[in-house]
Order: sequence, then C-alpha cells, then structure tokens
Amino acid sequence: MMGLAAGRLALEALQNRALAGGGFADRHGGRYRPDATAWAVLVLAAGDTGFDLLGPARSRLARDQLDDGRVSIAPDHPEAFWPTPLAVLAWQDSTAHRDPQTRAIRFLLRATGRHWKRRPDDPIGHNSALQGWPWIAETHSWVEPTALSVIALRSAGFGEHARVQEAVRLLTDRQLPSGGWNYGNTVVFGQELRPFPESTGAALHALAGRVPQEQVRRSLDYLAAQMGRLRTPIALGWSLLGLGSWGVFPAGARSRVFESLNRQEQYGSYDTASLCLALLPLLTPAGLARVG
Amino acid sequence: MVALPDLPNQQGWSRRELVKVLAGGVFAASGVSLMYWLAGPRVQAQTLIAKVARYEADLATVLSQGFRELGVTSQEVKGKRILLKPNLVETSVGAHHINTHPLLVRGAVEAFLRLGAANVIVAEGPGHRRDTLEVLEESGLTDVLREDRIPFVDLNYVTGYTVPNAGRRTRLRTLTLPALFQEVDWIVSMAKLKTHHWAGVTLSMKNLFGVMPGIYYGWPKNVLHHAGIDGCILDIVATVRPHFAIVDGIVGMEGDGPIMGAPRHAGVLVMGRALPAVDATCARIMGVDPHKVRYLSQASDWLGPIAEANIRQVGEPVASVRTDFALLEAIPAQRGLRLT
Repeated sequence: MMGLAAGRLALEALQNRALAGGGFADRHGGRYRPDATAWAVLVLAAGDTGFDLLGPARSRLARDQLDDGRVSIAPDHPEAFWPTPLAVLAWQDSTAHRDPQTRAIRFLLRATGRHWKRRPDDPIGHNSALQGWPWIAETHSWVEPTALSVIALRSAGFGEHARVQEAVRLLTDRQLPSGGWNYGNTVVFGQELRPFPESTGAALHALAGRVPQEQVRRSLDYLAAQMGRLRTPIALGWSLLGLGSWGVFPAGARSRVFESLNRQEQYGSYDTASLCLALLPLLTPAGLARVG
Repeated sequence: MVALPDLPNQQGWSRRELVKVLAGGVFAASGVSLMYWLAGPRVQAQTLIAKVARYEADLATVLSQGFRELGVTSQEVKGKRILLKPNLVETSVGAHHINTHPLLVRGAVEAFLRLGAANVIVAEGPGHRRDTLEVLEESGLTDVLREDRIPFVDLNYVTGYTVPNAGRRTRLRTLTLPALFQEVDWIVSMAKLKTHHWAGVTLSMKNLFGVMPGIYYGWPKNVLHHAGIDGCILDIVATVRPHFAIVDGIVGMEGDGPIMGAPRHAGVLVMGRALPAVDATCARIMGVDPHKVRYLSQASDWLGPIAEANIRQVGEPVASVRTDFALLEAIPAQRGLRLT
C-alpha cells in the first residue's frame, strides 16, 4: 500500500509542476524545460490522467519549436536539440499537433552529428562513420540521443527509414563486447570500457524487435543482473523500460520503483525528467510507445 | 653573509629576498647591476604538499594546516559561500582511485567551516553518466553527504548563464556556466591525481570540465572535445577563475586514465590558489614534466606559473614524495612526458 501511495503521490507531484502557460517545470518550483515537459506528457498520457494538462503542454512544446523543426533545450541554445525526439513522442496521437510533429520528424531525418572514417590506428574501437544523432549540433553521435530518435521515429511510422536503419547499425556497433552500452564508446586504447544501466536500457529499448534477441543476450543479462542494486530513477527507469521492451519483467520491479520514489525523502524531490523515468515503467511496462 | 632560512609570508617574499633587495646598494657599489640580479626568478604562487598515508587520517586538520601555511585565513573565508567541485566521472564498486574520495570531501567541508564559511556545497556534473545519483551512491559520496548534511547540486541539469569566453584559446565565443556560480563566492576544484589518455594528466584544471552542464554540452561533454581539449581547459579556467585547488593524491591513477588506469598510492594532498602551479606540482610528483604537458605549458605565465623557480613549495618537497606514475607508450598524449 505504501508503494501505491508513493506512486499516487508522485503523479500528483508531477501534475503540480504544470505551469500556467502550459508545459512543465524542470523541478519542483523550477522553470519550463522542453524535455521535462515531453516526459511529463508521456507519463500523463500513459497514466490516463491529467488530460487537461496534455494539450497545453504539447502546445507549449510547439511554441518554442524553431523554424527548422528542432526543439532545443532553450531558445538561446539552438545547438542543444536533443529534446527533439522527446517532443516527437509527446506529440504522438495528437492530431492538433500533427504539424509540429511532422516538422520535428523532418528535422531529425536531416540532422546528424559529426562522423569520420575510422583510421586503422584509431584508438577508439567503434565505427565512427555510422550516423546517428548527437546531443548537441556539430558533435559526434552518441547512444542515448540516437536511441531516443530511433524510438521516436519508429513510433511515428518511420521505422524503415534509411536513417533509422543506419542508427540501428550504430547502436549494435556501440554495444560493448561483454554486454551493455555506455554513453557510446566501446574500446579505447585497447581497453573495453564499462557499461551503464541507463544507456543499456535506452539502447535495448530502441533495438527491441529490430535485432535478434541473441544479438543482445549479454546486454539483457547485464541489465537483469543490475536490478538487485538499482534504486535511482534514471538508471532504474531506463533499465526497466529496456528490459520490458524485450518482454523481460524482473520480479519485484514495482517495489523497486516505489523504493526509488521513497528515496526522495533522502535526496529531496526528483527533477521532473527523473520522476517521469521512475514512473513510466509502472505505466508502460512494455516500453515508451508503439514501435514500428 | 650568514645564510638565512627561507621563510614564506603571504606576499611571497622570503626574508632572503628582502635582504637581497636591501643589499642592492652593495651590489651597485661593487659594479654589479642590481636589475640583472633582481631579474632572477620571481615567486608567483605557492603550493603545499602534505603527506597523507590513508583516507582515514584527520583530513580536515591536514587541510586546515594547509590553509594556514598558504595564508588562507578566517578573515578571508568568513561568511563566504563555498562550492567544492570533486571529480566524479563514473564509478566502479571499490575503485576509489577513479574519483575524489568522499572522506576528503568531508574533510574539506569541515576545514572551510572551521574558517567560518557561511555554507559549503558540493557540486558536480559527471561527464559520462546521466544518472548522477547512481554515481553518488556507488562512489560512497551519498553516505558522507547524508551523514554530514552537505547539500549537493547536480551541475548537469542546472540552468546556465552565458558569458564571453575569457580564454579565447578555442573557437568557442561563449561558455555557459551553471547559474549557481553567481550565488557562491569561492569555487574550489577538488581533483584526483590521475593520468589521462587525451590530455596527458587530469588534475585541478581539467577537473573543471565537470562544471559545464550536460544539457548544453552533452554526455560526454563533446562540445569541448571537438573545440579542443587543451584549449578548453584553458578557456574554462580563464572564465570560471576558480579560487582554490585541492588534489587527492592519496591514491591516484596511473596508466590509462582517467577511468581505466590502475591505482597508484602517492600519499599526498596538494593545495594552492593558482591552479597551474598546483597542477605543475602534481605533475612533478607523478614524475611528469609539466612543461611537456600541452595545456600546462600554454597556461604558463598567463593563467599562472608552472616553473619550479616561480612556485614556492611549502610542506613536503617534491623530491621526497615523487612517485613515478606509469605512462603508456601506446598513448600518444603520454609519450615523452617523463620528468628527467
């Protein structure tokens, strides 16, 4: 019962972060931020609650959208366009926001990071020529923005687009030999780096149904092995979404989420994106959205 | 003339130097140019090396003694808001050589509070992990923060404010810093003594990459890598203008740093106000020639001194604590760095 109460309180706390002009604050008492708003829309839509907040939130995302379709972290930081796939997801199933979603999708299909042909003596182990999506313009493609873009584009019906297909190849290329993903490096100067739960969850979610399970078996095993210790929202949330997208639902997952929510007594209230990542596995255990 | 001991004071002049100036008249009378004589090395910064064998030592007292020797007084710190920026890149259970040790963070908080600081917060924006709370838990820092009620701010997600790039060593015209910096008085870089596979070494200056919020710079902070690591180190230090550095060299990292290298016990803490001087001292302890580390040689005589002659070394002499950290020939940034 304590767990359910924690979940209910968390949903209420999220709704209390709705802003008068639409959208959601980045934290309790904070300011508008597009990623926080998009995550909040996903939670409320999945939770069948807060319907009166969804429209204004989606419209707020559209108001700050730039002419080329990108949704950046702030108007004065157009280069930080990593919230764009989150906005695509947030606008899904909203006919009133079909136009901004279409423009955001067109932007994603055009935009990419910096890439180069890997030299034989390159100290980094991954294929640096494969194109995905960067966090920030004019930088390299990395795992989480690529995974989010794949999830968003698949959800919007672009799963067979050449950009998505190449991004799937990128994600499989960035998988660590021993399993799992980190931010996006594999082997550097001959040493295999370590995986992170949140990156692994995001990558697994993006690849669900696109590659044979055997190809990601080690990553699924790595993530399942982490479940006993994970209690922080971003790592736990992405891990559960990643496993859930492959039909793996660890025993006790719900109680772990409630434990994570209760840790706010120790840490203070989570920021909005983290709060949403903790809640989403309870509401959409099989993953963020329909994937094509 | 009787030899006088070198006694440091806050202005950096030793008694020996004062006598030299006063004796200038003697030189002039003997035909020797005073200006030539005075044109010798001039001390521009002080650093302190403290020998500390274990993290369980009374680190607050070691740091407090260090403050005293470096002329950091309660008059200067009283009422100030202090931000401590440790190095937390990523974690691995039991691998205390990757990150600034939590007990040192605890010691620093206490040492600044003893001087009358109004408050002390800990802040970091890990460069690789999105889940900062996980990093705090796995590193053990959460326990210290909770037990001592030390506030923590995740710099990766804070709102930023944009300022002109004061260093201008890269093409970045502006830098976006955490808005929190406008609410503190001292920024203290609490780095780890480590080698680095792109920069050669990572010490108090490179540690400041972690203040740049990930929401504007990415995970990793790739904007900085593409603009040039060495130049960005200088740009960030020139723009942030940190007030102090404490480097955790009790157990550092050698070889393939900053993550995958091996632990190396050096048994030191290094402190000082001028970050290039602190880094140069750290480099010498590691058996690295600071003049051969690109970002340090470029910082020299601009952001601060790196030449031994221009740094007053208090506490333990470098030679007594030198611990040659392994440098890998396979890593270009580490080739040719050895201090001979």
